[in-house]
Amino acid sequence: MVFNSLTFVVFFACVLVLHNLPLGWTTRKINLLLASYLFYAAWNPPFVILLWISTVVDWYAAQGLVKAQRQSVRHAWMVLSVVANLGMLAYFKYGGFLLDNFAALLHAAGIAYQPAAADIVLPVGISFYTFATMSYTLDVYLRRAKPADNLLDYALFVTFFPHLVAGPIMRPTELVPQFAEPRRASADQLRFGLALMTLGLFNKVVLADSFLAAAAEKVYDSDKVPGLLDAWAGTLAFSGQIFCDFAGYSTTAIGAALCLGFAMPDNFRFPYAAVGFSDFWRRWHITLSSWLRDYLYIPLGGNRHGPRRTYAALLATMLLGGLWHGANWTFVAWGGLHGVYLAAERAAKARFADYRPGPLAFAALGLLTYALINLTWVFFRAKDFGKAWTVLNGMAGLNAEAKPILTTFYLVSVGVIIGCIVATHWWMRARTLESVVARAHPAAIASVWALLAFAIVIAQGSGNAFIYFQF
Amino acid sequence: MPSSISSSEAVLELRDLPDAGEDAHAPRETASDRPGVAQPVPQRPVPPQPWNRIALGALALFALLLGGWEAYWRAFGATPGTRNTEKLWANQRRRIDAGEGGATVLVGASRVYFDVQLDVWQKLAGERPIQLAFEGTSPLGFLEDLAADPNFHGRVLVGVAPQVFFTGFAYRGHALKTFQKESPSQRFGQWLSMNTVERTFAFYDPDFALATVLKRQPWPERPGKHAFLDVRKLSVSEPDRATHLWSKVETDLDYREVTRAVWRQEFVPDPDDPPPEKMLEKRREQIARAAKIVATLRERHIPVLFVRPPSGGPFLEYEDRAFPRAETWDALLAATGAPGIHFQDYPELQGGELPEWSHLTHADAEKFTAALYTIVARDFWKKDGAAAATATATDTPAAPPPTAP
Repeated sequence: MVFNSLTFVVFFACVLVLHNLPLGWTTRKINLLLASYLFYAAWNPPFVILLWISTVVDWYAAQGLVKAQRQSVRHAWMVLSVVANLGMLAYFKYGGFLLDNFAALLHAAGIAYQPAAADIVLPVGISFYTFATMSYTLDVYLRRAKPADNLLDYALFVTFFPHLVAGPIMRPTELVPQFAEPRRASADQLRFGLALMTLGLFNKVVLADSFLAAAAEKVYDSDKVPGLLDAWAGTLAFSGQIFCDFAGYSTTAIGAALCLGFAMPDNFRFPYAAVGFSDFWRRWHITLSSWLRDYLYIPLGGNRHGPRRTYAALLATMLLGGLWHGANWTFVAWGGLHGVYLAAERAAKARFADYRPGPLAFAALGLLTYALINLTWVFFRAKDFGKAWTVLNGMAGLNAEAKPILTTFYLVSVGVIIGCIVATHWWMRARTLESVVARAHPAAIASVWALLAFAIVIAQGSGNAFIYFQF
Repeated sequence: MPSSISSSEAVLELRDLPDAGEDAHAPRETASDRPGVAQPVPQRPVPPQPWNRIALGALALFALLLGGWEAYWRAFGATPGTRNTEKLWANQRRRIDAGEGGATVLVGASRVYFDVQLDVWQKLAGERPIQLAFEGTSPLGFLEDLAADPNFHGRVLVGVAPQVFFTGFAYRGHALKTFQKESPSQRFGQWLSMNTVERTFAFYDPDFALATVLKRQPWPERPGKHAFLDVRKLSVSEPDRATHLWSKVETDLDYREVTRAVWRQEFVPDPDDPPPEKMLEKRREQIARAAKIVATLRERHIPVLFVRPPSGGPFLEYEDRAFPRAETWDALLAATGAPGIHFQDYPELQGGELPEWSHLTHADAEKFTAALYTIVARDFWKKDGAAAATATATDTPAAPPPTAP
């Protein structure tokens, strides 16, 4: 089920009541586990089996790792876990993509081959929970973490519904220890958690779905050729939509966990105030970028083997990070572009090591970063390269045959919302939400909270799925 | 446990840049600050504030705002009612696979949706049809689905609104996917919505949603881009999609004028319209598509009856001009071999009040339904069923009477 639904409201109310009943801690954890399975099964019940497979494989792999005496045996258990998880991901997420590309390759070689339609349904959230379970085995393999004491705690770590389908991608060391002792939210945690959920849902239901999505769709999903203004407006709209959608999900998830007494990590830190691309990745989808860094980039050699190897590792990490987002070459291009940005920035930093920008140059670098990030969003949003080039041409003012696409309403709403988002990110770039709330007047907090909730209700969202569910 | 990897492996970061405005409340560390190590349990501090008072204040203000919003829309004429959504359509479509495969099914666009009154039909026929028509939506996609569904063995009344049917326009065509892919949580959510929110709040209607309301404000026109008026709320529905024209369209002259202004936009050519030859090609495609579907249904002994509900005023003039009967309706019946009822051929189907030229008032829709059912039962779907089950235009027992003015 999605957070922005009546079903979730009822579900969450039941979970809160159950979690606060005077029951033993083990019983309450079982309640949370069953509720999480219900949360997942509400999409497509049979796919719960995949969740169980992922859970059981990594549980036994970690047990095997601990018991193994020889390094080769430890290695084998780790490989088993990685193969099982990535195999599942490869089949369900990339099966059709691999078949299509294989057929295209044969066709290029002059061999006619038409694979049967794969028709594989992508289990929601599979990319997220396979990464969470893999991090468990890998942390045990790398001796960063001990295995969980019992299967219940481990299964709950994998399945805990706030992070299950779209993150933040939790590490076992972040969550499993929280299951050791009984937890209930304090009254203040509950209220602040509810306030966070309101903020997250406002981002999703009001900003992303009600205002920004339509503008992006009109530019990206129509066969009309956009001019300079429409191409930029559509792309900026998407930059806001994907932030509000995904950061909205993370904030709601963090709030939901807090209402139950659990802490989840930050996943976003005002990314559109980033200055530079490494700064961007320290602010955008933090739990994925750090996962890729720890389990892909560093094992590929990181920066320990000279510049060439570093650049290669960087590019490979970002290309695979792009592919993680979806089985389409446009996502690979998106990741590749980020890889090139990061490599170029690294080279520039080495070349101009002593350069310290003044305030104006700092702001200009920030805007340049945001503009270049927007170019990458074109590949992320466009369904194919043809559309991506059309929009990029539009952004460069090269579409001579373009006609206006967006009406004044869309241009104004995109301009106002994106302007507010970017300004807020810059104002908040060195702050936390908590620090700002701590210094605000209680009446102001109450008013903002009420207005956000009111806007959510009158926006009448239609329960659209979050964009990242498809990844 | 110790990390096997040095924590100095910070690579995907840019530590050197100044961080303007850093203060005592600087961001806490995240995983991005701790490369290659086990991540600790996150910190999630609650800002020190009187949260009890804040929550109560927020709740009070929220209730006040919501009460004001509800009062505004009630004063506008809205009342709580069933929301006209694709999930509601899916509920009805599901009935066919849940034991009602022999039912009479209505498909078409808004005219069949608003003008055929299920209560009246049920009273006369002894059975309540399943309403699967959808506004602004060609019925052909839904018909294809029915033709492919082995559970369906009833009969179909297909509404023909020329500007929708012969262009293949499917504003709500996604309803079929909603039906096919609806998750258990979505179905439960629909049930919850119908039994709680929709029964309580008048503002809970897509026409009163925040973005919709803002969008229809008089924004300045962008040069080269005309902002078309969106269709406003026209109807009121019951849980089984029994639907009729909203009384506000009938009684509020200003609102009626707004709804007419929306239709007027269709009567003039738009620069974005496809060229005439493309329109003709599209028309032929839709007729061929219909013929194929009817052939499939006929093979399965499922009777199909086309109905052209009434329109009037400038709307009818536009339809006669852009979709001449001989090239559309007559061609459709000829190509499919299926029978049809055109309102212009039956005096008893004419004369109803059409406040915005396209849909009958509630009272006249009831009269129209009674007249329509009488014709259907008399000339096409006789009570004994079998004889007329495969009736075609060529073997229709009673030739339609001459067109009345």
